[in-house]
Amino acid sequence: MQKRVAITGMGVISSLGDSPATLHSSLCNGKTSIYQFDESHLNGSGGKGSGRIAAFRAQSYLRGKNLRPLDRTGQLVVAGAGLALEDSGWTPEHLAEYPVGLVLGTMFGSLHTIAKFDRHALEQGPGCASPMDFANTVINAAAGQTAIWHNLRGINSTISSGSASGLAALGYAMDLIRFAGQTAVLAGGADEFCFESFCGFEHAGMLHSSGSLELPVPFHASRTGFALGEAVGLLMLEEWETAMARGAHILAEIRGHGSAYDSSRQDRGMAVRSIVRAMADALNDAGMSPREVTCISASANGSVREDQDEAVAIQSLFNGSSQSIPITAIKSMIGETLGASGSLQAIDLVETMRSSVLPGILGLGQKDPLLPELNFCCEQQEINQCHGLVNSIGLDGNVYSLVISRGPGKT
Amino acid sequence: MSAKPTVVVTGIGMVTSIGAGRHEFWNALLAGTCGFAPVKSFDTSAYSVHLGAEIQNFKAEDYVRTLDVNSIGRSSQLAIAAARLALADASLDLTEIDLEHAGVCGGTTSGEPQFIERFDDHYVHDELRKVGREFITGYPCHVVPCHVAMELGFSGEAMMIPTACAAGNYAIAHASDLLRARKASVMLAGGADSFSRITYTGFARLGAIAPEVCQPFDRNRKGMVPGEGAAMLLLELKDHAIARGARIYCEVAGYGLSCDAHHMTAAHPQGEGAARAIRMALDQSGIAPEEVDYISAHGTGTLTNDRLETIAVKNTFKKQAYKIPISSIKSMLGHTMGAASAIEAAVCALAITEGHIPPTVNWKEQDPECDLDYVPNVARKHNVRIAMNNAYAFGGNNSSLIFRARAV
Repeated sequence: MQKRVAITGMGVISSLGDSPATLHSSLCNGKTSIYQFDESHLNGSGGKGSGRIAAFRAQSYLRGKNLRPLDRTGQLVVAGAGLALEDSGWTPEHLAEYPVGLVLGTMFGSLHTIAKFDRHALEQGPGCASPMDFANTVINAAAGQTAIWHNLRGINSTISSGSASGLAALGYAMDLIRFAGQTAVLAGGADEFCFESFCGFEHAGMLHSSGSLELPVPFHASRTGFALGEAVGLLMLEEWETAMARGAHILAEIRGHGSAYDSSRQDRGMAVRSIVRAMADALNDAGMSPREVTCISASANGSVREDQDEAVAIQSLFNGSSQSIPITAIKSMIGETLGASGSLQAIDLVETMRSSVLPGILGLGQKDPLLPELNFCCEQQEINQCHGLVNSIGLDGNVYSLVISRGPGKT
Repeated sequence: MSAKPTVVVTGIGMVTSIGAGRHEFWNALLAGTCGFAPVKSFDTSAYSVHLGAEIQNFKAEDYVRTLDVNSIGRSSQLAIAAARLALADASLDLTEIDLEHAGVCGGTTSGEPQFIERFDDHYVHDELRKVGREFITGYPCHVVPCHVAMELGFSGEAMMIPTACAAGNYAIAHASDLLRARKASVMLAGGADSFSRITYTGFARLGAIAPEVCQPFDRNRKGMVPGEGAAMLLLELKDHAIARGARIYCEVAGYGLSCDAHHMTAAHPQGEGAARAIRMALDQSGIAPEEVDYISAHGTGTLTNDRLETIAVKNTFKKQAYKIPISSIKSMLGHTMGAASAIEAAVCALAITEGHIPPTVNWKEQDPECDLDYVPNVARKHNVRIAMNNAYAFGGNNSSLIFRARAV
């Protein structure tokens, strides 16, 4: 019999709070991120609303061990993992007994450390390069540091699929449980906000600019790009029977996932079709029909082309029912958090199921008239839903979809 | 569902410092050819070491046909070359497969490091305005499998698994899972890394680079030699391969992955995690330790890796460890980082079909702590039915893959 995959705990550190419940209520109440931006010397026109999580202090999450080996990405992931482990009831004693896995999705890893290490060697000579920084220049550094900190000895993997990495990691971890004998895997994504990635996106003209819109609003008629943020989101995935046996509280179930790639990168029809395929494959994996989906968390982040392709794809797959399925998108509030984004959407969807309230798309007063008629959720709404679909569409054509169903117990 | 479907290897392609493509590479390997030379891609005059294993005279335009060869980084170019060679080797007709479920899974340590190195050059010269769109479109490591997929029109999953020096094994493991779950028609899986200033600087700073020669498992070994390369394996389900009349190298029998959770850059002192990965691979494959005919070692040539790897093999194979030939091709092509375990996986497939084991060259004197059969200096004829591929990485990431001769 096919193994089932339960979500037994979640950890998040974001500009809208450091617990799933706070994140969800912030999103439902239409709060916007408190990001701290100190790259003003770049003098670009874009980048409105981008920045670091203003409130993040590693020391408030991580005590009792030396913080020095951790750079910012490492700190975020180690701290986020601690919250998820605590939420799911995994104690250090349990972790010493059972090898728990970790799958981290990230677009850049520790980009700032990589660049800093290189520049230091350029300026001071290679003999002055820092061995401690070098350890963090590998893209799997944060996953390795987190394994050391929390004693996670199971399968440890890092996934990169651009800004879809976090959702890709959840699908990958699900398959480790279904097909590779793992019983407990912590999975999700993270990316830091750093000068180097900001500079790259800004110079490429991909960021929300200071036009008429205050926020980078998904699906809006005047959208110009996204705001770059940072976050970590991790979910504890466990094989259903073993989770039940240890008395874990099951929050929700991951039912299936699908992936695709737009290998044309030119042809809008192919791009739409890749999104349709990922969603259809996820539903097929879950053994569900499109009619059963009761809400969609869209990937849309304010990008002109990508938002439209996603809307067209939803219309195409859900055809008749697409006008009734409520669609939310959280990135006008939290920004594009790259590797973390898909996992934040998944976490919020679980909270949506637990609270029966779906957050609205903040700022979507004027929907893009070029988009198909869909039920964009503009204000938070009550929803008695059981099956949600999460999309994560990378900036380079990587597409992932995940189906989550409500857990069995009362919440 | 009935019995677990079998994943098979039907094509292999690689680009290395000692040769490209199956025939050239395999002949060079059996002859014990080394690819070491002074580093050319950047100035090493400020370094205390100068040796590298770069690919000389690589002509990307021979392989990159669809994409603009100048718009993509060297790792992508190497990966595309390996992919093209693998497809040709597999005699795969792209018009006859389901391209919408044909995927690419890559492994890497650094992705496209030259893009961030160029960014840093601009930074230190106060010329950041010169950073253009190519940084964000060319640098992030996932673009390597994306470029392979774009080049070939593969529209299934395109994913990078950047688990550093064990990444190729992770990529093959994931691709096998996707096939077994019937989520892909064919998968190109492997790894790619181009020569990186950042990586070289780091290993030089750790004192891990050998000054003159790489000699894994030798008593006087002085370190590894950073290299570059790429390898791709074409994987498909056995039924799919048979239906299209493909030549089958071997089966992917199973994999084991584990984490030391001990130290970022140093392996566990008893090789505990490595041993767990080996055991998991044996369990998943349903193979007994005494059935293993060949081990392709991680064998970097550093003092600690080779000693701990030997311990891990002894702890899992017990007395049998002394009877299994083990070799490290890093003695010839250096450490190709994320590509290394993919190239070594190809070596396992070739050892099975060719009945030959490549040597560990530059081996002169036995280390009392490394006392297994490392196939010193000369290639050996050996009937290999089951081959194990070990690879380890920063972050404590351990991996073992097992390949099995096709059941007759």
